Amino acid sequence: MHSRTGLLFALPALIVLAMLIAYPVAYTGLLSVTDAGGKLVGLDNFREVLRPRATTQAFTNTLWWVGGSIVFQVLFGVATAILLNTNFRFRTAVRSIALIPWVIPGIVAATTWAWMFHTEFGIINYMATTSGIVDAPVGWLTGRDTVMPVLVAINVWKLFPFVAVMVLAGLQSIPADLYEAARIDGAGWWDEVWNIMIPQVMPVITAVTLLLVIWALNAITIIFAITRGGPANRSLITPIQIFRLAFDSAAFNEAAALSVLFFIVCIALVFLYIRTIAQQESA
Amino acid sequence: MNAPVSITATRRRLRVGRVVVPVSATVLVLVCLFPFAWMALSSIKLLSELYTIPPRWWPENPTLDNYRKVLFASSIPRYFLNSVVISVGATVLALMLAIFASYGFARFEFRGKSFWQSFVLVGQLLPTAAIIVPLFITLRVLGLINTWLGMILVYMIITLPLSVWMLTSYFKAIPAALEEAALIDGASRLDILFRITLPLSLPGISAVFIYAFITTWNEFIFALCFATDSSVKTLPIGLAEFSTEFNTDWGAVMAASMVMTVPIALLFILFQKLFISGLTAGATKG
Repeated sequence: MHSRTGLLFALPALIVLAMLIAYPVAYTGLLSVTDAGGKLVGLDNFREVLRPRATTQAFTNTLWWVGGSIVFQVLFGVATAILLNTNFRFRTAVRSIALIPWVIPGIVAATTWAWMFHTEFGIINYMATTSGIVDAPVGWLTGRDTVMPVLVAINVWKLFPFVAVMVLAGLQSIPADLYEAARIDGAGWWDEVWNIMIPQVMPVITAVTLLLVIWALNAITIIFAITRGGPANRSLITPIQIFRLAFDSAAFNEAAALSVLFFIVCIALVFLYIRTIAQQESA
Repeated sequence: MNAPVSITATRRRLRVGRVVVPVSATVLVLVCLFPFAWMALSSIKLLSELYTIPPRWWPENPTLDNYRKVLFASSIPRYFLNSVVISVGATVLALMLAIFASYGFARFEFRGKSFWQSFVLVGQLLPTAAIIVPLFITLRVLGLINTWLGMILVYMIITLPLSVWMLTSYFKAIPAALEEAALIDGASRLDILFRITLPLSLPGISAVFIYAFITTWNEFIFALCFATDSSVKTLPIGLAEFSTEFNTDWGAVMAASMVMTVPIALLFILFQKLFISGLTAGATKG
């Protein structure tokens, strides 16, 4: 039906959204090229915010954080989905339990893991020392080289169930005759995984991976609650740096400049994601 | 299917599966459950039992002291109330707007429709950190920092796009033929929406409600920036600062974590199907 009625229905929500999203985005752009007094200063804020070493470090950390998170989230998520797609006793119960990490609030996951990784009283150091994996307790969250891998591991734990649910839905829609045909040809289990399951759920994996990248860029909670970006900026990622610039140093205009750069990267990914799912739908 | 090769393959599959599947399922359950179990166990331990080397697995003298501290001697109950008001407010307001918008998107063609739909999706996916600075300044100018209303408005940035997006796909799934019959009988579009479409999409609306509620309940960044006074702080912020308020009394932190997790766990157990359908619809369907 071609009419204006549809737009009328959508209009209130769109106006609210425009005020809540489009306006702040435009305002960020304005803030990024002015000083605290509102005077135009060109690209000074960008130069200022790109100078400190912390910015480059935050950028590298963000790459590690996003890259490390998604690789293992997808790996464990797909493995879990394949496991849950087989028939075994208690499968329904296991599937529900596997969703726990995703359901638990991010901040709760953060504090619980921080307690488990506690250097002196943490259960993880206890298990690691008694089983002989390490000789002495490790300062997981205070060590410069351990902090990022540990945070990534927590993020992986938090979100791999999401990948599992999405991929499992994809696996369950694979027509049974594909498997039957493969079995007649004498295909083993690995053949089925590589030649049927993975190719069939590849569109889901692509879409979910892009979504995970976007989410990882937005995932401040775990890092902020556990380390606030420390020690020595070793776990500082760009969104946390924006927060710190704005609210710890009250450097709103520099924070806005950094937001603009961050926004450009994010929006590019968002459009890539939208294009991907649009193509999948029309295919 | 009777080829000998396939029988050997199937047998091998069964033999390997008999070991690999239970083992990996057990590992999976342990990995997912252990932190939650450890949180529950730690929450009923005395401080002296928490701070021992080596750690004790089971509490010798289970205690509710940590819960007493959290529920009666901290700001957590107030934060709980704030969280409920803000999450329900942002979810209900967004749903009210989204019902109309989604109906418009699902049932009509109009100029610029795909643009507006993309706009909604961009809104849902946009990392919040990119817009905290202008939002903060705007809220400050409007005097909405540290108010329930300000928080509800800000949370609509999250709940509104996801509600519109999810509801549109639910509405699309309802056959239009039902509505056409009513149209011929002279019913108005609004009548149809409220008498036919809405009642039919109750499961979808519940899924959206649950998903939006949980997303705001767990939200951290906006709350960190715009709720700095204890009269509006939400539970995630309360939990994050608990460590300083009590000089990291881990027993109390774990008890507070339990308090925050219980409502979510209940929603999840009661509505698991809706929950999962909401999750999958919210993420990829178009």
